[in-house]
Amino acid sequence: MINRNVEKVLPLVQKPARYTGGELNSVVKDKDSVDLRYAFCFPDSYEIGMSHLGMKILYSIANEREDCWCERVFAPWVDMEEQMRKNNIPLFALESGDSIKDFDILGFTLQYELSYTNVLNMLDLAGIPVRASERTSLTPIVFAGGPCACNPEPMADFIDLFVLGEGEEVNNEILDLLKECKKSGASKKEFLVRASRIGGVYVPSLYDVEYNEDFTLKSVTATEGAPEKVTKRIISDLDKVYYPKTFIVPFIDVVHDRVVQEIFRGCIRGCRFCQAGFIYRPIREKQPDTINCQAKILCDVTGYDEISLSSLSTSDYTHLSELLDKMLSWTIDEKINVALPSLRVDNFSDELMEKLKKVRKSGLTFAPEAGTQRLRDAINKNVTEEEVLNTSRMSFEGGWTAVKLYFMLGLPTETFEDVAGIPALAQKVVDEYYKCENRVKGKGVNVNISVSTFVPKPFTPFQWDAQDTMETVIEKQNYLISCVPSKKIGVSYHHVDTSFMEAVFARGDRRLGNVIEQAWKNGCKFDGWDDQFKFETWLEAFRNCSVEPEFYANRKREYDEILPWDHLDFGVRKQFLINESEKARKSETTPHCRIKCAGCGTNKLNGGKCDALSQNMV
Amino acid sequence: MRLVRIWFDKTGEAKYISHLDLMRCFTRAIRRARIPLWYTEGFNPHPYMQFSLPLSLGMQSVCESVDIRIEGEMSDEDMLSALKEVMPMGIDVKKITEPKFDPKYIAYGDFYITFKDVPDKAKMLKILSDVFAADRLIVEKLGKKGRHKVMKEINLKEHIRHSYVKETETDVIVNLILPAGSTTNINPSLFSDKIIEIYGENMAVDILRNRLLLENMKEFK
Ligand code: SF4
Repeated sequence: MINRNVEKVLPLVQKPARYTGGELNSVVKDKDSVDLRYAFCFPDSYEIGMSHLGMKILYSIANEREDCWCERVFAPWVDMEEQMRKNNIPLFALESGDSIKDFDILGFTLQYELSYTNVLNMLDLAGIPVRASERTSLTPIVFAGGPCACNPEPMADFIDLFVLGEGEEVNNEILDLLKECKKSGASKKEFLVRASRIGGVYVPSLYDVEYNEDFTLKSVTATEGAPEKVTKRIISDLDKVYYPKTFIVPFIDVVHDRVVQEIFRGCIRGCRFCQAGFIYRPIREKQPDTINCQAKILCDVTGYDEISLSSLSTSDYTHLSELLDKMLSWTIDEKINVALPSLRVDNFSDELMEKLKKVRKSGLTFAPEAGTQRLRDAINKNVTEEEVLNTSRMSFEGGWTAVKLYFMLGLPTETFEDVAGIPALAQKVVDEYYKCENRVKGKGVNVNISVSTFVPKPFTPFQWDAQDTMETVIEKQNYLISCVPSKKIGVSYHHVDTSFMEAVFARGDRRLGNVIEQAWKNGCKFDGWDDQFKFETWLEAFRNCSVEPEFYANRKREYDEILPWDHLDFGVRKQFLINESEKARKSETTPHCRIKCAGCGTNKLNGGKCDALSQNMV
Repeated sequence: MRLVRIWFDKTGEAKYISHLDLMRCFTRAIRRARIPLWYTEGFNPHPYMQFSLPLSLGMQSVCESVDIRIEGEMSDEDMLSALKEVMPMGIDVKKITEPKFDPKYIAYGDFYITFKDVPDKAKMLKILSDVFAADRLIVEKLGKKGRHKVMKEINLKEHIRHSYVKETETDVIVNLILPAGSTTNINPSLFSDKIIEIYGENMAVDILRNRLLLENMKEFK
């Protein structure tokens, strides 16, 4: 519902449908008949936010409640923000068009570090003080979740409470408590203290942080009876947990515009650089029947003609073949594509290849991540050159002519020899194409190398490692380019300065709160967008706050240093991470979870159960 | 296989749906309504769907139509009620007919341009009567010259086939018939932008496409 003031500025902005709401299946309720008004805030553009599965799930769950109306809010693009500020239009929710200032609860999802300034900007646009300490009344409560909440310290000044782990259950518990506190007229403090008793809820204001003289942490102390360690929440049974029966269908083209079906959570691989591979453990698989039925219902109510099967590594799903049979039995008739992102190269059987021919032929992507076997072993990316080449050959025979290879620069233990290995591997893929008799006739091959910069992340074996300095990374990039032997190989990079900032915030502490606030005040927002990112402004903010960003990004930590996220428990044992880190130095691999449980410890979160383990036992 | 023409209104918030987005929106709605679309043969089958005349972003309309090919048994009444169930807000399917004219014969559009909450209505009315009395109303229009885009000056007065002005308590409404179709197309916002420029103060403008007409001024059906 568009309010009149917004209507006036819409002709002046790009893509006005970002701000109108009214999409099919969006939920409109009578605001007088609900107890709680909840703004689900995504700190990025409409197109990014609407592609996000977590939002669809949590939005639907909250709206299942009769006592709550959950609405969507996205970061207005810069042209719209300009109009809003000029015309005094406060940030509004899409469903009602109402300003979110008077909502009871605002929930942000923190998907990437570079969206932090957008959180502040959105609060400010709503007319809400950005600092939690300046919001003294019970409502609005500002909470946040998502993968960045595994080290939420840089945002601790701004957010009242963080949800660790999966939100399907805990969000409802928070809403229940807030409703009760509103009724009884409780203070914000009372609410927060009680909320800290809910599993998976971290209330940063209840923890005192002390620093040593060198700015490393001295202690983090829980107060008011808050738990010493907050443990993340997980959903035990994915077949029983709520899954949306409808998706909102956007008018405008968004990044992922299709039905999405999660097939399992967690990852059996244990790549040492990959945070997602650890923080979403233990492994929990969803049954093919559940996935198939839910997908069918969603296709019917949305009219989408594509289903994407989502997970960290699709081909590791044990029932993939069965699931594809079930789905293809009706999707082919209904002209619906089944897309399988995140396929791995190694367990790509002929049989699977045959089935894939029936599903959509999207670009073929592999992620060897490192150029030499030695470094792939060090990061535990258990992919061999032979496997990459085999799968390439199979796919060239299957009609593909373009391959994209993903790599990282700056991985721990990396040498220039490893860097040279990247274009060398790409060249072998090119050679493989020309060796292949059944390749598409009359067409050349295209191998694209995409190189990102490694960012050490919490809860991974590399959480103690230093990120390469920007100078070193640039040097490695240049060296890589100089080693490219063929025009058939294209190279693309990520900017080093954004990776540096990510590294600062990923392992940052509360001292960064001032920096974020100051950078935002000086105009930083949409930092994840190359055309908006203002590195100089950030550096200035660090200087003004007397904080050295290198302290966070480029410093190697000792195993016994207190880390800013040590009081948060994601189930991964610290000793396991240390062992993995040590093995990395020796280029020793750890077999994946179906071969042998590596003892990461996360199965404790699920009463000792882990679907990777049960597979192992049969 | 048969060809049907679906008539609909595009009003309210739906006016912010671009033409491209509208096509996607219809494809999905037709799937939801389980209308048996006819698909082309071949490796990448696609349905046949043609809109009579794209509507500019921001305009409302009560005379939109799209032609689709269907196969199998489904009556027009059943299609209509199924579609009504699944359309998003602001897109109201009104009727389904057999196409009478090919969209390529559309020559004119009949528009209502509403200047909303006009601060000084007398001033506005005076401007309009001056404009309609004069021979020329020069506006700049983005045109093509070969492969390049250039600004061209055109005399709007040469293109206006009919005009009529009325007022309500707060608004001034201008009814215009302008060329619309595959050969010449004059966007009514060229007129409203120019009037606002002469008036010298910004205000909200609503443009509604009321009817599409053939060369002989008969209604497109
Ligand atoms: S508990 Fe064992 S099998 Fe399960 S994820 Fe952890 S290491 Fe893998």
